[in-house]
Amino acid sequence: MALNLANKSKKRKHTVTEGSKSLASNEFSDSVGLDMNSDDEEGAQEDGDSDEEVEEFPELHPESSDDEGSGSDEESEEEDEEDEGSEGTDTAYDHDERPGVYPEPKIVDSDITGMPKKIYPEIEPDYDSDSSTEEDPNRVGNIPMHWYDDLPHIGYDINGKKVLRPARGDELDKFLKTVEDPSAWMSGFDKNTQSDKPLTAEELDIIRRLYAGENPDAEYDPYEPTVEWFTGKGKEEVMPLSAAPEPKRRWVPSKWEKQKVMKIVRAIRQGRILPKKPTSSTSKPQFYNLWSTAASDQPPPPPAPKTRLPTNAESYNPPEEYLPDDEERAKWEATDREDRERDYLPHKYSALRLVPGYQDFIRDRFYRQLDLYLAPRVQRKKLNIDPESLIPKLPSPSSLKPFPIYRALRHVHQSGNVRCVDVSPDGAWVVSGDDQGLVSLWEVLVGRAVKTWNFKSKVSSVRWCPRSDVSYFVVGVDEHIHFLIPPNLSSSLLSATQNLLAPAELPAAPDVPSPVKWATKPSFDITSHASILTLHLPQSTGLAKQLTWHRRGDYLASLSNTESGSVWIHQISRRHSQAPFRKVKGAVQAVQFHPLKPHFFVATQRYVRLYDLSQQALIKTLTPGFRWISSLDVHPSGDHLIVGSYDKKLCWFDLEMGDKPYKILRYHAKAIRSLAFHATLPLFASSSDDGTIQLFHARVFNDMMTDPLIVPLKILKGHKIANDLGVLQIRWVPGQPWLVSAGADGDASVWCT
Amino acid sequence: MQSDYVSTLPVLFTTQTPHVLPPQKFMIPAAWKRYQLSQLVNKALSLETPIPFDFIVKGDILRTSLEEWCSANGVGTEETLELEYVESLMPPSHLSSIPHDDWVSSVSCRIDGRFVTGSYDGQVRLFDSSQKLVHSFSAHEAPLTSMKVLQRGQDDVVIATASQDTTARLTSLSYSSSPSSKTLASLHLHTNTISSISASSSGTHLLTGSWDSLIGIWDTSIPEADQVPTDDRKKRRKVNENGDAPRRKGPVGIMKGHTGRITSVEFSDDDKYAFSAGLDSSIRCWDVENEICIGSVIASTKPFLSILVPQHPHTLLASSTDRTVTMYDTRQLRAPSSTATTYTTSSLSHPATPSALAASPKNSYHVASGAYDGVVRIWDLRSTRDSIAVATFKVPEVGANGEPRKGDGKILALDWAKNGLLAVGGESGLDIWNVPE
Repeated sequence: MALNLANKSKKRKHTVTEGSKSLASNEFSDSVGLDMNSDDEEGAQEDGDSDEEVEEFPELHPESSDDEGSGSDEESEEEDEEDEGSEGTDTAYDHDERPGVYPEPKIVDSDITGMPKKIYPEIEPDYDSDSSTEEDPNRVGNIPMHWYDDLPHIGYDINGKKVLRPARGDELDKFLKTVEDPSAWMSGFDKNTQSDKPLTAEELDIIRRLYAGENPDAEYDPYEPTVEWFTGKGKEEVMPLSAAPEPKRRWVPSKWEKQKVMKIVRAIRQGRILPKKPTSSTSKPQFYNLWSTAASDQPPPPPAPKTRLPTNAESYNPPEEYLPDDEERAKWEATDREDRERDYLPHKYSALRLVPGYQDFIRDRFYRQLDLYLAPRVQRKKLNIDPESLIPKLPSPSSLKPFPIYRALRHVHQSGNVRCVDVSPDGAWVVSGDDQGLVSLWEVLVGRAVKTWNFKSKVSSVRWCPRSDVSYFVVGVDEHIHFLIPPNLSSSLLSATQNLLAPAELPAAPDVPSPVKWATKPSFDITSHASILTLHLPQSTGLAKQLTWHRRGDYLASLSNTESGSVWIHQISRRHSQAPFRKVKGAVQAVQFHPLKPHFFVATQRYVRLYDLSQQALIKTLTPGFRWISSLDVHPSGDHLIVGSYDKKLCWFDLEMGDKPYKILRYHAKAIRSLAFHATLPLFASSSDDGTIQLFHARVFNDMMTDPLIVPLKILKGHKIANDLGVLQIRWVPGQPWLVSAGADGDASVWCT
Repeated sequence: MQSDYVSTLPVLFTTQTPHVLPPQKFMIPAAWKRYQLSQLVNKALSLETPIPFDFIVKGDILRTSLEEWCSANGVGTEETLELEYVESLMPPSHLSSIPHDDWVSSVSCRIDGRFVTGSYDGQVRLFDSSQKLVHSFSAHEAPLTSMKVLQRGQDDVVIATASQDTTARLTSLSYSSSPSSKTLASLHLHTNTISSISASSSGTHLLTGSWDSLIGIWDTSIPEADQVPTDDRKKRRKVNENGDAPRRKGPVGIMKGHTGRITSVEFSDDDKYAFSAGLDSSIRCWDVENEICIGSVIASTKPFLSILVPQHPHTLLASSTDRTVTMYDTRQLRAPSSTATTYTTSSLSHPATPSALAASPKNSYHVASGAYDGVVRIWDLRSTRDSIAVATFKVPEVGANGEPRKGDGKILALDWAKNGLLAVGGESGLDIWNVPE
């Protein structure tokens, strides 16, 4: 019975699919009759030779009318017609076919009672019925069907009977079926029944809708008519919500808005606002490469310091060995909180509930906050470098011998304050001058004065002429420069010197008369204590504080104390003086000839300028960065320069390296008074008001690549400080590593190796 | 027992004095010092008047106990020590000081019992044995740098002086009852200060060393006429007019070789050779006859100030401005092509520049050096290792008339007389010390 029913429903579905197929293929078929004539239907008609086929036919109508509720009237009419036709054949079935309608009972006379009774039709657990969703012959459920692969049946039906495996033709049958049966593509393999199952019209319709991108629900109508629930005709709000009169502001223009606008207008007029900013490159949208800057090398800020983790000793129940004895406890209590090794005393409690409140809690929190607040958030880079290794490796002074190390002898000026000192070019004689006007000539080796001259006024400078074919020196006293000849010269040397300084025929007077007077003593006696030649600088130029010779010994530069017109260059052979600078900015502190080129160094208070005397041009301005330059000396190579200052510093210039000092040495405790390079040895010395002379080894390399090597060698102490003056002048002895110094304490000293 | 045990050292005594001990080993307590050893030697010799002895161990004068010396020098206590004993130098005593007007640059005790000084004022002064000025004459206008006294006859000497006026002079001086002097000749060669003059032991030849780096060889004969013309016509006429004027004398030979100023020249003992030293840090040995340099020492940065040829054989002492007095072996110096610099035997270091040297006439091992700090040090050439002088004495700070001296009291000249008197000339004049030997 059930099997029949299943078959029947299957058949019915088949027809439904057929109908839907016809719908799908040609939207609305002209007539059902046409449909019927299709090949598909022919097969069905063959099957349907039995009664049931006729019965089945009307079945389609309510279904299809349900399916295609919005179908064309034409079709529904036709269906209605057919419906009517079918109803006539089997009413009982008709009842069955009405879903949602109670089946009408059939009133039958009971065989037993003889009374009429209502007999309801048997409830079919159909797809449409309430009780069952789908009838499925195979009731094995959702199991892997390959379990039944080896069995002749594929499961069991509701009655526990085996459902036999339907015959499934081979591939050839399948192929033939696709060829022969046009509806073969409309079936899907049903796993449960292990057979092909034709798709229903609804399923096909869902597939079609999905395919067309429509809503898969056929019931859904996207164009439903609007139901106007609250608006529309007859539902207008006529009465106002508030009876208040209309406020004035509704129709009067806003005042503050006007003010606001006027403010903007005023700003535009005054130019504070540019209504149309000129489009410039800056106003264009700026693009930049987000990743153009390299990631910073800085490590992320270090995390906050962590609290120390508790140890066993901080447990409420620490092991016995952590517990302090009385002595330790007393000691802990006696020490200050800062000095304690640990800030708690281990204490044992038998249970956690006995642990009292922590009395240091507030304090601990406070210090923790302090830690967080005061902890350095910047990682300090600690250099793991031995500071010793950063000091440049300098050769030891003992390997740089010879240099002077001790004071061999002193030549004492009774009056004190030896102002200036110089050594003869052969290194045998020293001439020293003091503030009382005494000029003393003495031997380097013995220190005994051989001859003295007294000028009765402050001797500011002495300089020995560097020429070897003549022998004389110049002494600057006030505004006069005296030329003196040392005694005991050989006759040829003496006559040569006399011929130079007091020639029989004076050279032609210069075209432009110079304010400097050259006065020669008419009859000169070598034994007398007078100068053979005196240069009288113009009046009121002040003290000739510095004299310096050109290397060849023909030009003598003198520097006077006053600010203007202070520098003179005297040419001995032509007996002519000239002022090379019309006006020098600042007070000139020191002058020096370049040893090789016709250049001239002029040091003012802050700058050292290098002039080319032949071109009459400024070559270079060097800025040592001192406040008051005191002295300078030029390296014999002419490429290097040392400058000393009254602010205790000394700097080394490499003339090839620009106008900034190569090195600044600050070793003296007081103002530097004098500097001197040794003519042949790699030595230089500086003397200061602190009474010391400092010696340096200064090796200059010929190649341009290597920097000069400057090594401090020794501090020569021995001169006393008198009237805040120390060593006023130093000179090297030519040919020997010896130094001659003039001290304010009245000693002229020779320092030997 | 143990406490009484005294460690002893086997010692062998040797000597070159006339007081000789029999050559036998002595077991000497290690704690003994010079005093006990000297007493032992005195007792062993059974001398009537005790003589203090000094003991020299392997070139060291013993100044500590034997034990300390052994541990300091790493000598085992089992080794036999050879102790050479010498008569001790008695501490020198100051006899007198003779103030001078100027610095004394040169002294000589060549005349027995008398002292001749040359000073920077150009004066040569003769003092008799009672330190009285007998005679003085002006040898030069310019400072006198060096002076030598040549014995010519009884009461008659020739004094050769060198000066900064580029000449040297020969002056005869008779010191009999009425002292008189006469300038015989002036030596003309140099163009710069003559720093040193030296006379051969026979007195026939002179050497001058000058700052112009030349060495002049001169004989002492006085020529009849000028050998060198004067530069000046006027002067020449004057000289011709005055027959007593000193003859102008030229050199016998010239030796060139130094590159710097010469500070000191000396004849060797046998007068065949000459030594010179200069500020160019070289000592040169010259063959005087052939006027050639036969050897030199070029030391590095030792500008030499003076040299001394002591009696000690084959030794040359040279003082330099690096505050050392260095000993050189003249045999190596004399050998040809010996320009090596490494054969100095030892050097005596001073706290100040040693400027003057003198050799003891009696004891060939003793040498005196005078320095710019005014201290005279006497050295024993056998004990040169630790640079400790045998005796040291300082020129008194206070002059003869009780006033303090000026300056540092630099010593510029030393001469050691045969009678043991040491004449010290310098900034403070002449001082005479008695050095008993």
